[in-house]
Parts: sequence; C-alpha cells; structure tokens
Amino acid sequence: MIDWPHWLPLLAVLPLVGGVLTPLLFHRLPNAACFWAASIAALTLAVAVALLVRLLASGGFGYAVGGWLPQYGIELRFDEIGALAVAAGFIALLSLVFSRHYVARAVEPDRAPLYYALVLINLGGLNGFLVTGDLFNLFVFMEIFSVSAYALVAMARAPIAALAALKYLLLGALSSLLVLFSVGVVFAMTGTLNIEDAAVLLDASSAMPAGLALAGLATGFAVKAALFPVHFWLPDAHAAAPAPVSAILSALVVKAGVVGLLRTLELFAGGDDLLQPLLTLIVWLGALGALGGALMALVQRDIKRMLAYSTVANIGYIFIGLGLATASAVSGAMVHSVNHAVMKSALFLAAGAIIHRTGLRNIDDLRGLGRRMPITAFGMAVALIALSGVPPAAGFVGKWQIALGALEAGQPWLVAVLVVAGIVVLAFGVRVINALYFRPPARVPVASAIEVPASMWLPVLLLAVASLALGLAGTPMLAFVGPAVQSVYGTIP
Amino acid sequence: MNILATALGHVDYLVAVALFLIGAWILVTSGNLVKKVIGLNVMETSVFAFIVTTGMIDGGAPPLVVEGMEGPYASPLPHALVLTGIVVAVSITSLALVLILRVKSQFGSIELDEIVPTDEARGDADSDAVGGDDD
Repeated sequence: MIDWPHWLPLLAVLPLVGGVLTPLLFHRLPNAACFWAASIAALTLAVAVALLVRLLASGGFGYAVGGWLPQYGIELRFDEIGALAVAAGFIALLSLVFSRHYVARAVEPDRAPLYYALVLINLGGLNGFLVTGDLFNLFVFMEIFSVSAYALVAMARAPIAALAALKYLLLGALSSLLVLFSVGVVFAMTGTLNIEDAAVLLDASSAMPAGLALAGLATGFAVKAALFPVHFWLPDAHAAAPAPVSAILSALVVKAGVVGLLRTLELFAGGDDLLQPLLTLIVWLGALGALGGALMALVQRDIKRMLAYSTVANIGYIFIGLGLATASAVSGAMVHSVNHAVMKSALFLAAGAIIHRTGLRNIDDLRGLGRRMPITAFGMAVALIALSGVPPAAGFVGKWQIALGALEAGQPWLVAVLVVAGIVVLAFGVRVINALYFRPPARVPVASAIEVPASMWLPVLLLAVASLALGLAGTPMLAFVGPAVQSVYGTIP
Repeated sequence: MNILATALGHVDYLVAVALFLIGAWILVTSGNLVKKVIGLNVMETSVFAFIVTTGMIDGGAPPLVVEGMEGPYASPLPHALVLTGIVVAVSITSLALVLILRVKSQFGSIELDEIVPTDEARGDADSDAVGGDDD
C-alpha cells in the first residue's frame, strides 16, 4: 500500500480538487466547509506521512505524470526537501481547525467557504511546489500558492487588508516574472525543463546568460522569502491577514521562497564562479535581515507586526546558513525552516486567539491576560521562549548549527550577529511574557476575557508542545536532511 | 565585439529585455495603482514574447507531422508554456483590479501618496465585537 505509486501526485491534487469543490458543495454552510477543508487537509497530511515513511525506507523517488517519462514529461520527485510537505499539512490542518470560530467573525460570512477553498488551494500549490522536478511546473505551482495567498490576505475585514494584499500582489507578481523569465533563459540554453537534466546540460561557463538566469531566480525567490532588503511587503501583509492565514504565510509560504532558492542552487551546482558571489551576498543580506528584523520587532506595538518582523529575522538566519555553504550551516538552515514554521504558527494562532477574544492587538493592552486565558498565554510564552533559541527548545538547534557553520567557514563575526539577534528576540519575548503574566490588567476586555473554545486553544497548545519536542529531535532531523544538503551543494565540507 | 555581435543576432531578446525593464520601471515608480498593474502587464508581455521567440528557428516548419512537412520544426513547447503563463497573468490582473476597486472604495483614491492608512484602518474589525457567543 505504501508503495502505491500515485500517492505523490495526490499530495497536490487532493487539496487542489478539494479546494475547488468547497464553494461548490458548501456555498451557504461555513461550518460544513470548515469540516470538509480540515478533512481534506488531514488526508493530505496522511499522504505526506505515507510518502515520508517510504522516503525513510528506500530513499528519494520520482513519478512521471501521465506516464510521460522524465525529460519529456513532467517529473515529480519526493526528496528530503519535499518532506517539508509533512509540516505544511500539519500546520494547514491546525490552522483550519483554528479557523472555524475565528473566521466566523473575522471574515464576511458569505465569504467563509471561499476562505476555506483558498486555504486548501494554497496548500495544494505549496505541496506541488515542494515535489515538482520541472522548472515550468515550479512556476505554475508557485503562482497557485501566491495568488491564493494574495486573496487570503484580502479576506480580512480591516480596510488596510486590500491595500496590503495589493502591495503583496504587485511585488509577488514582479518576483514571479523574474522567475519565469529566468526559466525561459534556462530553457533556451538547455532545451529542457527538467531540473536534474538542466543541471547537467547547463553550461555554467557561458557566464552571461547563465548568470542572468541565476540572478533572476535568486532575486525572485528572495522576494518570495522576504529576504532583507526585499522584505517590506511582509509586515503589512502578515499583520493584516486573518490570524490563521498569517500563520500559514509566515510558516510556509515564505519558506517556499527558501525551497525555491535551494532548487536554484541545485540547478547551478558546479558553477562555482557564478555561485560564490551569490552565496557571499546572501550571507550579508541574511545578517542584515536577522539584526534589522529583530530590532524592528522590538519596537513594534502591534503584536502581529512584531511577529511579522520576527519572521524577517528568522529568514535572515536561514539565508546566513544557506550562504555559508558548509554542511552544518546548511543542514541547520533547513532544520530551522521547519522549526520556525512550527513556532511561528503557534505564535500567530495564539495572537489570533487573543485578538478574537479581546479585540486588542497592542502588546501593552494585553497585560494580565495570562490569568484570563491561561492555555493561550501558556502556548504563546512557550513558543516565544523556543523562538529565542533557549536550549533545548526548537529555535536552538538551527541557530547552533548555523553558528558552528560560521566558525567552520572562518567567519566568527556571524556568531556575534546570531547572539545579538538572539538576545533581541529574547528581549521582545520577555516583554510579551511580562505583559501577559506579571502586570495587572489595564483594559476592560482583558478583565472580562475567558479562554477561547477548544478548537482554538488545542492547535496553539499542540504547536507549542511541538516547538519544544522538535528541539529534542534535533539530531535525527539534522541527519535526515544530510542527503539533501549533498544533492544541493555537491560535496561540501 | 563578440558580445555585440551576439546581441545583434538576437534583436528579439534585446527587445524583450527592454520591454521588461520598461514595465518594471512603470511598476516601481508610478504612484497610481492602475498604472502599476499596466506596468506589470507590460512585463508579462515581454516575458511571453521572449519565451515564444526561443522556440523559433529560422526557416523552421510548423511542428505538424503531415505529408509534405519536413524538419527542422519550430518548437511547439514554448507556446504551451506561454498559454499557461497568460492564464496566470489574467488571473493576477483580475485579482489586482478587484483589490484596486476595494482600495478605492475604502480610501477614496488609487494614488498611493493620497492614501493615508490610519490606525483605525490597521485595527482588526474584531475590535467592535468583544466577548464570545460561540460555544
């Protein structure tokens, strides 16, 4: 059963079909639509787990769509990077469960089925993006999750949402076109769209077109990942979106940009003359993003904007790891992508629960909420501590590995950057925890607030527990991504 | 000299790159949201034109396997790619236009420098419905 070949396309097809059917079947039934969407997401998660089991048993495997063999047809591949689909399914499922009560209030009632449809389509696009081995297919799936993300940001009722979504759309479309243009260049140079095939055929010595393609792909994916200095769309979009959407965007959609960059590096593997300047550049930009994002997070008053800037900082860490190009730094960056996804979705969902109950989003207004909403506040505190990288929680593993990699690469100043950024992250974490637990309530909604229903606190709690547990699973996760590091970078120290 | 010769041999590519840059310029510098979308469309068109021309062969035959048609054939694949790309572009443009309509109705303008996001606009609409009636 686990060897059934068609599991792989199902990973993308199931949520896409389920998503398209949602408004059709449940036009006036938002609760049924939520149940349906959560069921589809759970099935998708099951498929992803089945694929992961097969990957662990027998290594990476491929699938020829429609029976057309690779090079001519579209190839899907499931490898260690594609295994991010498990995290995607898990987080999407919990966000959907969380959405049931949240969306009833945060989104126009007749739009709720559309909201669930878009979340499923977003998940399908992400999964397809993670497993495709074809360059043009990569672009198509990227557009599926991007366009659904723009629309999801605009779903929020706040007037700023449409403007934030539009900014996100314009910049996202610009980056998509850079990617498509570069895919065209690669196709013109090699005559193939298959990534593995193109990597072999690509003549990295003809610097001009290959460099153009590399620059276009790297810039395009850096915008999607919100790498400093092209991160400015992120705080508006992530803060304006409904909270479960913020969780999905911050946890998964920006990580797709990271995965896109990994696929690009795979494409250009061996062209060291071209890659080296790029890797040096992204280390610097990553360092600036880590410091700048953490400092900007510290001065925010709005809790969701604070979390959004913290995402910019964490993307900075991940790019430092990718740019250092040593085995420990890259594996650390890959593991941190997953761990950050879990921690940040816990935080956004907890923030959403607080906003849902009290209507307050200013950190100073949340004083004393720890007593009124104990489970939500606990989840948020745990995830904040994990995020700041206190061992043995999940934030620690990736940062430790990246710091090790910086020492191996002979760039000890990066360790200082990581430590300073970590302290700043701890500072804003302490600020929120202090407000939640150690200050008397100052606002009426806080004093009368009660804990949110179980469908909202359970996802927060599960993700908070996971962000502790993943820290303990650091060693097996690092070992798991090892083969992916080698396949992307070739043999590196 | 070599680069110049190559460039002149591919005027179509140069035109595509020039159009791409013009579109990007409009998108980045214009303060009017509709003009930004038009800039985006110019960029899209340039990319599609570029990809279509990569399938061209001088004197190539249409890719039809019928009596009397002999190779070399022009590559049909870029057309299929561009067709998909156009579908994506249309959906992005329509979504952008709908969002512009919403911005216009909420802020009364589509000029970025006339839109002033207030704190009120930033706040969640939840704030007027405090407390819970669910469960």
